[in-house]
Amino acid sequence: MMSIKNILTISSYESKVLWRNWFFRIVALAGVGFVTIFNLAMFSEIDTPEWGDLSNGWILPYASLLLISIPQAAAVIFLATGLIKKDKKLDTNEVFFVRPISNLDYVIGKALALFKLFFLLNFVLLVIPLIVGLTNPFATINPMAFILYPLLTSIPSIIFTTGIAFLLVTVIRNQPITIVLLIGLAGVQLIYYFDKFSNILDFISFRLSMLASEMTGFVDIGFALWQRIFYLVTGIAFLFITAFLLDRLSGHKAAHKATALTGLALLLLSSFIMVNLWTMRQEPIATRHEMIVVNGRWTNVSNIEIARHAITLEWVGNEIISTSDMLVKNNTRALLDTIYFTLNPGLMVDAILLNDKPIAFNRDMQIIFLSQGIRIEPGKEANVRINYHGAILESAAHLDVDQKRYEEANDFLMFSLPKKYAFLEDDYALLTKDVLWYPDTEVGYNRISASKKRQSFIDFELNVKVPAGQMPISQGEVVITGDTYQFKPEYPLPHISLVIGAYQKKEITVDSVTYSVFHYPKNDFFLQRLNHLGDTLSYLITDVVNEYEHAQKIVYPFKRMQFVEVPLPFTAYNKIYESHQAFLQPETVFWPEEGGEIRQFDFRRQLKDMNTQAAKTNQVLTDKQKQANIFNDLIRKVFTKQIGEKWVFDGNNVDNPDYSLFPNYYDFNSGIVSQDWSLLNRSMATYLRNDKQVQNDYSRNINGISFTEECNDLMRTSSMTKILTEAEFSKINKSVTLKSQYLFSYLGQTIGEINFKSFLYEWVNTHQHQLSRYEDFRKEMLSRFNMDIDPIIRKVYSETSQPAFEIEDVQKYEVMDGDRKRYQVLIQVKNSGSSDGVLELKFNSKENTDEGYYAKVNEEVKEEAPGKLSVIKQGETKLLGFVLDEKPNTVAINTIISRNIPSVINIAMGTLSKREGGLLFDGERVVEHKKESTHYEVIIDNEDPGFSSFSPIKPTMLRAFIDSRKDVEQKYFGEWDSSYALWLATTGSDFYGSVIRSAHFTRSGTGQKIATWTPALKEEGFYDIYVYMRGKNQNTWMGRNSDGRQFDYHYIIHNSDGTDNIKYNITNAEPGWNYLGSYYFNKTGGSVSLTDKCDLWTVYADAVKWVKQ
Amino acid sequence: MNIEISGLSKIYPNGHAAIKNINLQIGSGMFGLLGPNGAGKSSFMRILVTVQKATSGTILMDGMDINTHRHEIRKLIGYLPQDFTFFSKLKTWEFLDYAAQLATSLKRKERLAKVDKLLDQVGLLDVRDRMANKLSGGMKRRLGIAQALIGEPRLLVIDEPTTGLDPEERIRFRNILSDLSQKDVTIILSTHIVGDISSTCHNMAMLNKGEVAFKGSPEGMIEQVRGHVWQILLADDEFDTIKAKYPVVSTIPTEGKWEVQVIANHQPHPEAKVANPNLEHAYVFFMENEFGVSLV
Repeated sequence: MMSIKNILTISSYESKVLWRNWFFRIVALAGVGFVTIFNLAMFSEIDTPEWGDLSNGWILPYASLLLISIPQAAAVIFLATGLIKKDKKLDTNEVFFVRPISNLDYVIGKALALFKLFFLLNFVLLVIPLIVGLTNPFATINPMAFILYPLLTSIPSIIFTTGIAFLLVTVIRNQPITIVLLIGLAGVQLIYYFDKFSNILDFISFRLSMLASEMTGFVDIGFALWQRIFYLVTGIAFLFITAFLLDRLSGHKAAHKATALTGLALLLLSSFIMVNLWTMRQEPIATRHEMIVVNGRWTNVSNIEIARHAITLEWVGNEIISTSDMLVKNNTRALLDTIYFTLNPGLMVDAILLNDKPIAFNRDMQIIFLSQGIRIEPGKEANVRINYHGAILESAAHLDVDQKRYEEANDFLMFSLPKKYAFLEDDYALLTKDVLWYPDTEVGYNRISASKKRQSFIDFELNVKVPAGQMPISQGEVVITGDTYQFKPEYPLPHISLVIGAYQKKEITVDSVTYSVFHYPKNDFFLQRLNHLGDTLSYLITDVVNEYEHAQKIVYPFKRMQFVEVPLPFTAYNKIYESHQAFLQPETVFWPEEGGEIRQFDFRRQLKDMNTQAAKTNQVLTDKQKQANIFNDLIRKVFTKQIGEKWVFDGNNVDNPDYSLFPNYYDFNSGIVSQDWSLLNRSMATYLRNDKQVQNDYSRNINGISFTEECNDLMRTSSMTKILTEAEFSKINKSVTLKSQYLFSYLGQTIGEINFKSFLYEWVNTHQHQLSRYEDFRKEMLSRFNMDIDPIIRKVYSETSQPAFEIEDVQKYEVMDGDRKRYQVLIQVKNSGSSDGVLELKFNSKENTDEGYYAKVNEEVKEEAPGKLSVIKQGETKLLGFVLDEKPNTVAINTIISRNIPSVINIAMGTLSKREGGLLFDGERVVEHKKESTHYEVIIDNEDPGFSSFSPIKPTMLRAFIDSRKDVEQKYFGEWDSSYALWLATTGSDFYGSVIRSAHFTRSGTGQKIATWTPALKEEGFYDIYVYMRGKNQNTWMGRNSDGRQFDYHYIIHNSDGTDNIKYNITNAEPGWNYLGSYYFNKTGGSVSLTDKCDLWTVYADAVKWVKQ
Repeated sequence: MNIEISGLSKIYPNGHAAIKNINLQIGSGMFGLLGPNGAGKSSFMRILVTVQKATSGTILMDGMDINTHRHEIRKLIGYLPQDFTFFSKLKTWEFLDYAAQLATSLKRKERLAKVDKLLDQVGLLDVRDRMANKLSGGMKRRLGIAQALIGEPRLLVIDEPTTGLDPEERIRFRNILSDLSQKDVTIILSTHIVGDISSTCHNMAMLNKGEVAFKGSPEGMIEQVRGHVWQILLADDEFDTIKAKYPVVSTIPTEGKWEVQVIANHQPHPEAKVANPNLEHAYVFFMENEFGVSLV
């Protein structure tokens, strides 16, 4: 059936032919060039490479292979189809067809020719990263990576692509159609099925998770491996079937049949692998679904609580053998005849002892229940011992995370990482409460009732037996006896975690708190980069801690703070009812292997940027100062969040890792438990957490309105309960945050901000290491402030009506207060909405200077003045007065939850007029009337019926296609994507409007697109016309530094005397109303139009004002 | 090699019957297959070399059925198809070596020696390192015959070998074949050029519209036409009359008249004299007599 000699002959000559093919040579040359440039740019010292790229030795070859994967597949499709096609005009094939070779020899020989060339090409391409890596002293080279990744990526891809190309061209008998089909197939996979179905369809392995960790190597590679085997086997099967279907009479009938049978057998095998893959993918989904159902069954069943819990654990490779000794108590008011525990379904329970006597138990997935011979009276305690062993089913973790988020890629650089929630490997273990590695009495996520919150903290003790050379890390003081580590936390904790690995530890004690860093021996890069800090470290820590605790007003409640390095694939999620991710554990924060992608861990580049910045500002810094800056930057940006993010796309990447230490100050230390208000504790944490704010959110620039406004809109139409159960997580998260902010701001305003905050801090500081009941908190509030918070909470969580704020007037003055120069700002705001509302006003006195790129290193962020809050009741108009010592530059009015768009209104203060004398007003008062203008005026805004727009231009084909795919009606559009054909509406603080500040915009053109404002005037006469502008050059990026260039808008005024065309220079336009000209207008027939002709990229059409002279 | 062909037919899926009930016996030596374009020669040859299957009938080669012993038979044959353009980007010697490796089991050294020897035989040694697709038409044909010969076949099937060759190339090609036919090899040569057959073959068959019109030796075929070839000297007006009635084989203008050779069953003109027939006359005779208009 098959002759090796024939195959080798065919492959040797066919590869010669291919090698001489110009297409292959171009592809190969392009590949080499591309990979060389890529490697030089990414990994060589030509530019300082990112630490994330260099730190992991698996990346170097893998990155190049990923880069070439798609073009390589395309090249294989082109060449393979050409290789096997039978051109009827050429009889050349026939002289080979009459040779004594089998069809299989012919097909396999040709395939092998292609493989040889591409394998060789891969080899050559891999030499490039190898050379680049070897010549970079900072790069990590992992020889295994250079062997394994081609086997895992390119080889199965090439074989499969060749197989399917051969088969299709044999069946279709048309090379161009086959190429189109196959390229289409690859395209559909990449576009429609990108990151879908666990990347089962990703035959190019462009997104398949296969990046290994330097700490644990390949983990959970099974799925990826089977996926690769599937494509390998299918590719070979296709080759056999191609040989069977080849348009050539076979030499032996038996051989022909055998070829077909082998092909079919291989297909059967690959189908089996596919079924297996599908099962591997579906099993966790099914398990999770089942666990949620089981939780639902038990969520309303009363249970005991655990007061003390001692765990003895032995780690034996992929399994643990544990004993849990618990002191449980019936804290309910009823006798309990059934008690239950939760435990990971992968762990087998060997025995349960109740008060030292064995007792029968049953199991319902993760629930272990005891219902025979149980009688625990209210208030009574009992001892329970559970012996269990086994492996951990990771799918048990994070049941509250919906499937979409659960399956979303875990991106790291250009790779998609596997998502790990726990490790139980031969050489490494990481267990958090999320995987239920020890018994508990708390029922997890279900759809019957909201997450049941823990009723108390537990006194834990953990005894761990580990092999020599391994170090376990958990909470509490550790006592080592032989190979057993005993952990005894000083305080009750909500949960504990366990990490075991070949760690090294560095520690320092400052102000009676021990700070320790646990890292893998090879990953000590930070020691080298911060080597000058030895004697100053304690001072640096003190400073950082002081800064943080000053911001938080809560003292660190534990005796140690552990920074534990964990493998890259370890993944966590944001939660609805909790304000921390699994990266935070009591006394512990997990930082990603070698700093992962976190810029602040990239010490070398941080240093480089700092040097550049120092050179620019003529600063001289010692090495020690530089390192101190780098250290501060890392801690303050990543862990204490005292440096805010510069840019975010709000609502996106909702599960970005969060390493904030705040949970150790609140969540693991205190908390308020409420049966009715499950969101309250989270709301409190949100309010207390004092992270620095994000400086710019570009969701509006992309979507037309900000993510907050989207959520406000959602909260107007849906109740909180509906949002919690039906909305996507990003919206749930944002809505909960907004509600929290609103609730506590409202309470603060009603009681008095300062009093309320100090009460809350006092509450937390006096209720450390315990949970308190909402009823107690409510009682305390009642007695302290004579205020029942219950109805307020109910109203805030349940109401859908929202306030709407109209900024009616802003006055700003520079005044002399004695001999002091001070600033008076008066803002008159009306709440025209359907509910009371809260405003938070923040003045910014920093001049908006362009700091440039390097300013982000060692940012000295000035302490933000706390926002000033004000409650404005429904229908009320308030005058808010502020006396400031520093000249305000802008004021940000945050309406929190409201109908306002934008919900945060930024008003530039502009020039402040000098005022002599007069009383200074600092505070707020309700006012009756808005100051009316003495002149008759009419304003037409782009939201008004008097505004219209016209465009004769058809959208581009691409745009029309994209628009046709949108399934929701969109009112506002992002400014970053100005339409070529249409005037679209967008929103922003700089635009005119009362509640909604919007304008229309379009890409500038030849003057064909026109926006028109048509007023209905009550009186005819001479009118001054003003147009509303965003300021100089309409603040567009291109016109900001115009270097003397002049920009114009073109207006057409239809007045009673005819039509006037005006070229209006906007280069120095003021923010607000700008005078355009004066004309005589009849009551009807007059209008102002703006064309799209302008040298700037975008033209804005906002509002026009007619003021009667 | 002995080839017995009985009842061979080929009907294509579109209903076109390319060959109909062919019965032939072919022994060693050169065998010519003559016929006009579209007579079914290529279909017949493609069936012979196992590229295509017959619809019905059998072919036995040395007693082996071509359908059941395809692999064995492929070891015995060499084939030069009608339309033969080479693989791009292979050198002349590489192309031949590629064929040699598939057709023989010689060791590398012997094989390469054989390749060069064969290249020498067909006069391509000088261009052994030239890309095969850069060869001239005649050289390509010679390379074609070389690849067909490389496995020392017992049956050599050559389809329209001289089409498009200049006379010198054609003679050279015939000589190569004549040399070969001295050995115990069966060579089947299909052509629509009568000269190719008359100068080389001892046995032949004539195909027309898929059927065998004649089988035997060229001489035998010529004998069949003896007495039907007439030579006449005609004036202009007579020439036109004759031309309209009889197939004219040759016309030579002489002294204001025409010396004409025509095929006719009876004396076409009182002055007509019987002429000595050749294969070309026989070819025309068969074409006209058996399948065309009847001769008056």
